[in-house]
Order: sequence, then structure tokens, then C-alpha cells
Amino acid sequence: MTDGRDPDAGGADGIAGSARPAEAETGGLRGRVTRTLRVARWEVTRSVGTVDRKTILVVLAMVTVAGVVGLAAVDEGLALESELYVVGVDEDDPYHDVAVESTAFRPIPLSDVELEDGSEDGNVDVVIADDRIGHVGTNGEAAYDAFRGAVETYNERRMAAEADETAAYPVLVTLEYQDRDLGDPVGGDDLVDDEEDSTDLEPEADETATDDGADDDAVDEDDSGTDDREHGADGEVDDGDGQADGAGVDSTVDDTDDDELAVPDVGGGHAAEQTAPGTPGTLSPPFPFQSLVLAFLFVVPMNFVIQAYGSTIMDERIQRRGELLLVSPAGRLEIVAGKTLPYLLGLVGISVAIALAIGGGLLSIGAAIPIALAFLAATFTGAMFARSFKELTFVTVTISVVLTTYAFVPAIFTDVTPIALISPLTLIVLDLQGDSVRLAEYLFSTGPLYFGAAVCTLQGLGVYREEDMFTQKAIPSKAVDAIVSQIDAISRRVHAYASPFVLSALFIPFVFAAQLLVVAVFFAVPEAIALPVVFVLAAAIEEFAKSIHVYAGFARSRFDASLRVATVLGVLSGLGFFLGEKLTHAVQFVGLPELTVGVAAFGPALSSEPLVLAALFLAPLVLHVVTAVVGALGAARGRTSYAVAFVLATLIHAAYNLGVVSLVG
Amino acid sequence: MRRELRSLRSEKTIVLAIAIQLFIAAFSSFLVVGLVTMYDPSGVDGHEMEVALTGEDTAELLAAADRQDGLTAVSYEDRSQAHADFDTGQVAAVLDANRDGDDRLVVRTTVPDEGLATTVLVVQLRETLEAVEHQERLENEDRLAETPLPIPEAIDASPYVGFTYTILLPLLLFLPVFLSGSILVDSLVEERQRGTLELLRVAPLSFVDVVDAKLLATAALAPIQAIAWLALLAFNGTAIANPLALVAFVFALALLVVAVGAGTALAAPDRRQAQLLYSIGIVAALVVSVGLPEHPANTVAKFAIGNPTSTTWLLLALYCLLAAVAVSLLRRGVRRLEPESL
Repeated sequence: MTDGRDPDAGGADGIAGSARPAEAETGGLRGRVTRTLRVARWEVTRSVGTVDRKTILVVLAMVTVAGVVGLAAVDEGLALESELYVVGVDEDDPYHDVAVESTAFRPIPLSDVELEDGSEDGNVDVVIADDRIGHVGTNGEAAYDAFRGAVETYNERRMAAEADETAAYPVLVTLEYQDRDLGDPVGGDDLVDDEEDSTDLEPEADETATDDGADDDAVDEDDSGTDDREHGADGEVDDGDGQADGAGVDSTVDDTDDDELAVPDVGGGHAAEQTAPGTPGTLSPPFPFQSLVLAFLFVVPMNFVIQAYGSTIMDERIQRRGELLLVSPAGRLEIVAGKTLPYLLGLVGISVAIALAIGGGLLSIGAAIPIALAFLAATFTGAMFARSFKELTFVTVTISVVLTTYAFVPAIFTDVTPIALISPLTLIVLDLQGDSVRLAEYLFSTGPLYFGAAVCTLQGLGVYREEDMFTQKAIPSKAVDAIVSQIDAISRRVHAYASPFVLSALFIPFVFAAQLLVVAVFFAVPEAIALPVVFVLAAAIEEFAKSIHVYAGFARSRFDASLRVATVLGVLSGLGFFLGEKLTHAVQFVGLPELTVGVAAFGPALSSEPLVLAALFLAPLVLHVVTAVVGALGAARGRTSYAVAFVLATLIHAAYNLGVVSLVG
Repeated sequence: MRRELRSLRSEKTIVLAIAIQLFIAAFSSFLVVGLVTMYDPSGVDGHEMEVALTGEDTAELLAAADRQDGLTAVSYEDRSQAHADFDTGQVAAVLDANRDGDDRLVVRTTVPDEGLATTVLVVQLRETLEAVEHQERLENEDRLAETPLPIPEAIDASPYVGFTYTILLPLLLFLPVFLSGSILVDSLVEERQRGTLELLRVAPLSFVDVVDAKLLATAALAPIQAIAWLALLAFNGTAIANPLALVAFVFALALLVVAVGAGTALAAPDRRQAQLLYSIGIVAALVVSVGLPEHPANTVAKFAIGNPTSTTWLLLALYCLLAAVAVSLLRRGVRRLEPESL
């Protein structure tokens, strides 16, 4: 690829000019690193150089104006609901003040109320007359419900102004969280971690001792004071409870004769643990998504960085600008690595900063990096495939949406099911919650992204050459080109027939990630609907991965379109996929097959019977080979027959999966 | 203009754009429905939780808990028995209610540490306790300066109505507008960078015509998508009160945003800066619009739910006026521009 280099070609350009000293160190690892770093440095200086002062000034001006206005308006909120509903009420009605105080309502006098169709519809949503409250129209119920909330808020405000606090707040509540081990009377002691301390906040020690059968509580009791303090000082992410604890009617605490007062309010590590008595309104339910929202912070900057990264890659392809670098002594891998390095380092830096800001540890950073890599790799490939900036915009938005979903949706189920671990964001959530993560879990979670990023980059590198960079081709045809360039690379090194084997195995991470995403998306759907869909989708994903490169090879005439060749390619592709899939059975270590939907995608857990085991082991091999041959035979005959064969192979595959699951399950 | 639309169609970007919007809408709805269900126990049907009541004064709590959907209260004479049942999972929570020296009801609540289920439980307990609080306040009436207003009976109302009108609908209507602007920025910057604007000069068109065509083609996409969204929402049972006003609103906004985008693309040196300026400008505009008497999202919500005020209509007129001014300013600027200088 780099054979045709001509170091003098770009002599007129400052970039190539400064590249000349590099000639001395063309070979070896050191040379590669030096060249990569040099490209990286150009990338930085050029990017900084092109941002002119006017742009910076305009951006600063806009940010300042937005910041000032935003801060000024922050008290009022966005007021999205302001005057959303109309309520018909006379001014002397006690409820009139409620409507005036609440921003969501606009009061109009009863005389202006017009009802149509026998009070089915009208110009109001809620009517208050003769101490009765009625609702009108399609949105009347919602308006009525909102009005009910407004009355409660109104009452709360009046009560807060009352002089006689004991009369205004006649009910006091304390709330405490207590671990209990259901259905496991013996074990569970090892699970007793510092979270158990929350029970120690129980003010009356004797009550805890008698009521809690678990002896560990009694042991903890003596040092509960210190434990609590440690816990409060942990620096855990618990912004929520400070407010909840403090929001109680503090002045009234003195009135109670309980000995809670002796215990300083150290605000447990738990969300909204309420030890000081407060009014019912101050009870705040634990917000299980707090860590998730914080973890999401890691993903946000990536969406912005890939915009700039996509632009710089795309820039190389406009007006053949990239030619200068292509003819430089740097190989394409070095060019791409150099251009990517500043953005990757930037993202790592941002991740570290975020981790420091929200109290995440090394694990958080370690989990954020593969996400960043996946974002950059996908954007690189997207920018190589896109024909125009317009197309690039949509490609990057798609990447943002898909990857964000991939990271975010599974993480919602962090405490619910092990499937959440497919997203590295889950690791960050766990890290923020103070849980530990095993190495296997880390690998399970980040492995697909590492591999996926690597394969994506390979695909993009495949078309980082003159004939693809500067021509206008449709994305599917570029993708086929990218695959074919991989086929060529493998053919050169090993043998033409080795490519389906290797590529099938290489696509496994994508298959794996896609299937996990399918499972995660359909996790919430009722099983009756989810199972068939997951069966077919999982099969389709696998069949696609096994046959698309075979099709690419045929479409670009890399293989003879004969029956024999197609069969051989199909067998090899099936074999490669089978071996790759066995590797991914590391899934089972995480206990995913316990999930019914997981079985649909990954096949049942291995049985202990040796015969069944052997059959279960070999049956997929037969299946993969058969369906891959079907796909290959179709691919050899052109696009339409490939589509037909693909559907056929998918159906066979889905039927097989269904059969196995019903047999074993 | 036709060429512009054709290139969009050939790149299938519009399909992608709509798919993305659908995805974002589905995603946000999914999150909201999930959250609302969690915080609104009435959404969880047929899930009754038993709570144990102990202490001296449980009568009021007992009555309130039975009125609460999803809660059943069981009285325990023996406090340790209640805690034992809590440990074995027979009851979901223990409430210990006693009177203190000031005749206040002190409720000591013990709930399990079990994630989502606890969240639902605490929400229900809070509502129950608030009902008790309201009752107690009424009994203290003579000591209070103002009697609390009676709270209307609870009814089964869809908790998603507010979200649909104030967040989902504005989101769906604004996204196409911003995408249109982004498309135009890309389109103009690319023609500049590839040098194809020169070629258009040979065509029997003035440069103003070219920009006009691009402007109209991209701006027209937004109301078309808006109509599709409104139709889809109406089909799903969300009544849209003033569809015409909404479409006009979207078109005016699209023209305004696209004109600003075109100006940015012609003024900025390259794509990165054009897109940076454009996107920051949009965000800043959204923030600054808080200063308006009605936020644009609020305007959309009021039109859609059928409660527009005269301010709402005035703002619609203002947006139309702004769009016209922006377009004419852009045309004037383009006419003065030397295409060779690009």
C-alpha cells in the first residue's frame, strides 16, 4: 500500500516539508510512533489554527448571553406547563386562589365559560361551581388531576406560614431502610456490607437488637456511631438525601421526646434515609437512577467530539486534500492513528475529569474508554463511507443515537438483571454505587466494544486509499468495498478461501452486541411478543454476518461464481462462525442464560449429560454450515437471489433455535 | 431546488432522519412511561402490598391505608411480631404510630432495601401519610389561621397528558426544524468547499435563486414532517386542537432557522466552525427564548391542547414576521456577496 510513496510529492506544502527529516527514520517501531505523533501534532495545530478569532468571539458572546439569561431564568424554570389548562372559577371561590397561584392554570370567570355538546366540550378544562369540581373535554381528566395536585401544593404553602407548627404539621415520619434476606435464612452474611449500616441509624438500639434476628446487627451496634460517621463521610454520590434530611421541619425536632436528637444527623449513605422526624411531604422515595444519570455524563461529551472528528476525516476526502498525507512516508495506519490520537486523548482527559468530579474511580474511566473508542471507530468508518457532509451529519447522529442507546438502555436494569452488564455504563453505575466488579464482568461488558471498535477501524482503513476516498459511491457499495479490501488482505497473506472463515469470526463481536441490544430492547416487552421477534432477529443477525462477506467477494468477482466454490465458502464461513461463537460462550459465566430471552438469542445453557453435551456442541456446527452454504449459494447468483437465500437461511436458523429451546427447555 | 431534494432522496438521508426522530421519541417516551409508572402506583395494577401497623394510635392510618390503591394495612398488637413478619417477607413495611407530648402522630416507618419495589412503596406510604396529615389538620382547625382547602377526590387520569403536550410534541416539532437548518449548513458549506458553486454560476440562475431554492427545499421538509407527526399523534388518540397554527408555526420557525443557518454557512470559514456556530446558536436561542412571555415549547403545547391565549397568537405572528425579516436579510446579503469570494 505504501510502496508508491513519494516523499517529494508534497514539497510545496508546509506539512510535507516538515516531514522530510522523518525520512531518516522510516523503518521500525520508533519510526512508526514518531510519524504517528507527527500526524497527531499536525492535526492539533491545524484544528487550532482554523478556528479563527471571529468564530471564538461569536461563540463566546452567544454562550455569555445564553448563560446570563439562563441563570436569570433558572428560578422560574422552563415554565413549559405555564397556563396549559383553563379553569372556570369565580373570584370569590376559595379555589380561585389555587388557580392563580399555580402556573399551569389560567382562571376565567364562570360567566365566560362556554360549554358545548351538553358539557362534552368547551373553552375550559376544569369548572368549579357550588363547591363541586368537574372536568370537561378530552383533557379534562388530566387537568383535574393536575388541579388536585395544585390544591395540595396550595395547602402546603398555607401550612408553612402557620404560626402553630404542631397544629400545621400534626404527623411526623421517620423512614429507615432495612436489609432482609428472603428465602435464605443461613447465607447472606457475606453480603452484609456497609450498606447494612443504614439499619444502625435506628435510634432505639434495643429495638434493633430484639427485632432483627440477624446477629450481625447486634455486633455492628456497638460501633454504630463511628460507622455512621464514616458512612456519611464516604463522599458517596448522594446529593439527594442531604436535601431530604435537611428538609424536615427542623425547628420542631426539639419538641419530640425521642432520643433521636442525641444522634447527629450524619445523613446515611442511603438515598433519602430519614432519621429525623419530618412531615409526610418530605419523604422522598429512593431514586434508583441517580448513578445512571451521573454515568450518562460520560457519554455526553463523546457525542460532541465525534462531530469534530468526523469533520476532520471528511475534510481529507474533499478536494483530494488527503492525497498529500497519503503520499507522505506515513502509512495509512499511522495517518489514521495520528489523526485519531488527539481526539482519543481528549476524550480520555474529559472522562478522567468527569470521574474526578462525580467521584468515580479507575473502573469508571476504564469503562468509559471502550465507549469512546467505539464512538471514534464508528465515526471514522462513517466518515470514510459518507458521500457528503450532509450524509456525514446523519451518519454521526445515527452513531450517537445507536451507541447512546446501546450504553444507556441496558444500564437502566443495573440492579435488576445481569443482562445490564452488556453496557459498560453499567460498570460505571456499579462503580458509583460503590459495588465491586469482577475482571470477567469487565471483559464481558467491554469486550464487544473493544473488538467492535477494532473491526470498525479495520473496515474504515480498508477504504482509506485513493480509489475509495475521493470517489462518490453509495454507502452499501463502499461497505462492500471495505469488506473486499479485507478479503484481499487475507488472501494475500493466507489464501483466498481463508477470508470467509476469518471474517465470520471477526464479525462475532458485532453479532454479539447486536443480539444483546435486541435482547435488552425487548426485555421490557411481554415474552409472548418478545420471544418470536428475538428468535428471528437473532437468527437474521447471525446469517447476515455469515453471508455478507461472501456476497461481497462474489459481487466484486473475488471468487468464481460456481456451485463448488460457493459450497466451500459457505462451509468455511459456517465453521469460522461456529468457532467464534464458542468463544463468546463466556457469556454463560455471567449467568445470562438464566434469562428466557437470553436463551432465545444465545441458545440454552450446557447440560451436564455428556451425550446431550456433545449433540448440543455439534448441532450448531451443522446448523451454521448448512445456513452459511444456503447463503453462499444465493450470494453467488447476484443480489436478488442473495436476498431470497438470506431469508431462507434466517428461517432455517430461527426454526432450529426454536426447536432446541423447546427440546431442552 | 429539485436537485437539492433529489440529492436528499438519493442519499436516503430523510429516511434516516425520520428513523432517528422516531427513535428519539420512542426512547424518551420509554423513559417517561417507565418513570411515571414507577412513581405512580396506580399505574401498577393488581399489585397489593401489605403493611403492618403497630403502636397506640393506628385507627386513622388504617382507614387511610385502605383508601390508598395498592396498599392493605394489617394491625399488629405485638411490635416484635410485626418485625418478624417483615423479616420473612409477609409484610412489605412496618409502620409504628404513636402520639407524642404535643399530640402529634409520630410514625416510624421501616421499609425493605429492595430497589424499585421500595420506591413504589415509599410513594404509596407518602400519599397515605399525607392523607392522614390532611385529616389531622382538619381536626386542628381551631388552632389554624387558615383551614386547608378540601382536596378533590382522586380520579383515574392518564399521567402522560402533560408530558405529551409539553415535552414530546414540542420535541417532535422542533427536531425537524433543527435538522433542516443543519442540512442547509452542510449543503452550502460543501458546495463552497468542493467549488461547485462556481458551476452553478454558469447555469441561467442568479446566486440568490440558488440560495432561495436551497432555503425553500430544506425549510419545506420541516412542516411536512410536522404534519406526519401530528397525524400520527392524532391517530394514537392525542387530540391536536390547532393543527394549522402548529404547521404554520413550524414553517415560520424552519424558515427562520434555515435562513440563520444559510447565513452561518456563508460567513464561517469551514464546516466545523459553521456547525459549531449553528448548533451553539440554536441552543443559545432556546435558552434565551425563556425570556419571551411564552417559551416556544409552551406555545406549541397551548396550541395543541387548545388553550391558546392572545399572547400565543401574537407570538405566532411574531415568528412569521421574524422569518420574513430573516429571509429578506439573507437575500439582501447574498445579493451583495461576490460568489467568487467564496
